[in-house]
Amino acid sequence: MNTEVKLHPSTELLNQFVQGELGTGKSVVVSAHMELCESCSAKAKELQAFAVSSWVDLGSALQSDQSSEADHSNMASGIAKSPQIKSEQVEALVEVDIGIPNHSIKLPKVLAKAASQGLKWKKVAGGISEANLFLDNETLCEFIYMAPGCKIPVHTHQGSESTLVLDGSFEDELGEYKASDFIIRDAQHNHQPRSEEGCLCFAVLDSPLRFTEGFAKLMNPVNRYKFKKATSRVA
Amino acid sequence: MRRDYVKQDVGNNEAALTVRLASMNTSTPNPDAEDSGVSDEALLTAVGNCQNVDAFNQLFKRFAKKIFALGMKITRNEQLANDLIQESMLNVWQKAPLYDLDKGSAKGWIFTLSRNRCFDMLRKQKRQPNCISADDIWPLESIAEPTMVHEDIGGQQVELSLIEGYFDQLSDPQRAVIEQIYIKDRTHEEAAAHLQIPLGTLKSRLRLGVTKLRNLIGVNE
Repeated sequence: MNTEVKLHPSTELLNQFVQGELGTGKSVVVSAHMELCESCSAKAKELQAFAVSSWVDLGSALQSDQSSEADHSNMASGIAKSPQIKSEQVEALVEVDIGIPNHSIKLPKVLAKAASQGLKWKKVAGGISEANLFLDNETLCEFIYMAPGCKIPVHTHQGSESTLVLDGSFEDELGEYKASDFIIRDAQHNHQPRSEEGCLCFAVLDSPLRFTEGFAKLMNPVNRYKFKKATSRVA
Repeated sequence: MRRDYVKQDVGNNEAALTVRLASMNTSTPNPDAEDSGVSDEALLTAVGNCQNVDAFNQLFKRFAKKIFALGMKITRNEQLANDLIQESMLNVWQKAPLYDLDKGSAKGWIFTLSRNRCFDMLRKQKRQPNCISADDIWPLESIAEPTMVHEDIGGQQVELSLIEGYFDQLSDPQRAVIEQIYIKDRTHEEAAAHLQIPLGTLKSRLRLGVTKLRNLIGVNE
């Protein structure tokens, strides 16, 4: 039958996150999941501890030469003339209006911060609305709202799609997902997400969606255009 | 190997630390080793509490190459990796007053700062929006050691007979630490003194041991 449904980032993904190797979009969705998931948060702390101990060995093999030592010495003295920060600056949390009528949802802090750039919701089709977030040039990042009873046409992905459920629930052929679940779908999946009670998600795609059945396929050029537009923005 | 843990001494004994640092700064055969007897934590605390420039120089010597290596690993760009040394060590100097042992080891703290600055540097270079920064993605509280005096191992009912078995599956160092805190009811400071290890090491082993126990008991799933 089917392989186990993973509702959390894999250890490998968490490790890439901890090492700072993921782009912004993927880092944000993993960070947001960790705010909602104690076990992934604890796991990441362990992975960070391992990363730090192997980091300590990294760089020991590098030779220092006289000129770099002199540069470093100058750098250090220059830095030591700067002022120090005496107290922790805590940013006040801004209430983000998610823009969906009758819904007020508490977003994970990292998403609330990202969304403070302003969300513009667009109705896509059949009860689905999307609001794009510009985070980096490798991924299309968006909030997706599925109204109760609607579904997204069957599709697959060339790369991968990471989805974090923020509120409500949805299901596809592989399972049911509720708030705080983290799901990855890629080229080996062909799925049709649908929601009975309605659902708010945050999704990060590193390649365009590809609808695989029926008239929806006519939308594929639009999907590619949308992806290209989202990933060629400049701040 | 017993390491001199000079945190308590730094404030009262700054003169002694200064003398030691001065001799280290003039002849440093192996700046990476802590055999010179001063821990990273002591240096960082000296920078934070007293703006000790010799301590900062020593930290710089110990970490510059490591930060460069981290920068190369993430950016694969020598120029950026060099810039990262400047950015990270500047951050270390600026934020040193905010560092304390509850925030974990000095190495962990400096790693976090370096990784975060590298991330922000790359974002700036690629002209990505600054509505989000590394500190939002890796909030400082998340690197802090959780305050665990008597942390709840889990509300679940566990067979008492099984606990001993789980306990035996921990590594020797982790078991020793958990025994001190949970069975002998010592405070973190007392346990560290008893086991003759730095406080940061105790907290780190405790966290790892507790996480392992939780996994064994099956609370996390």
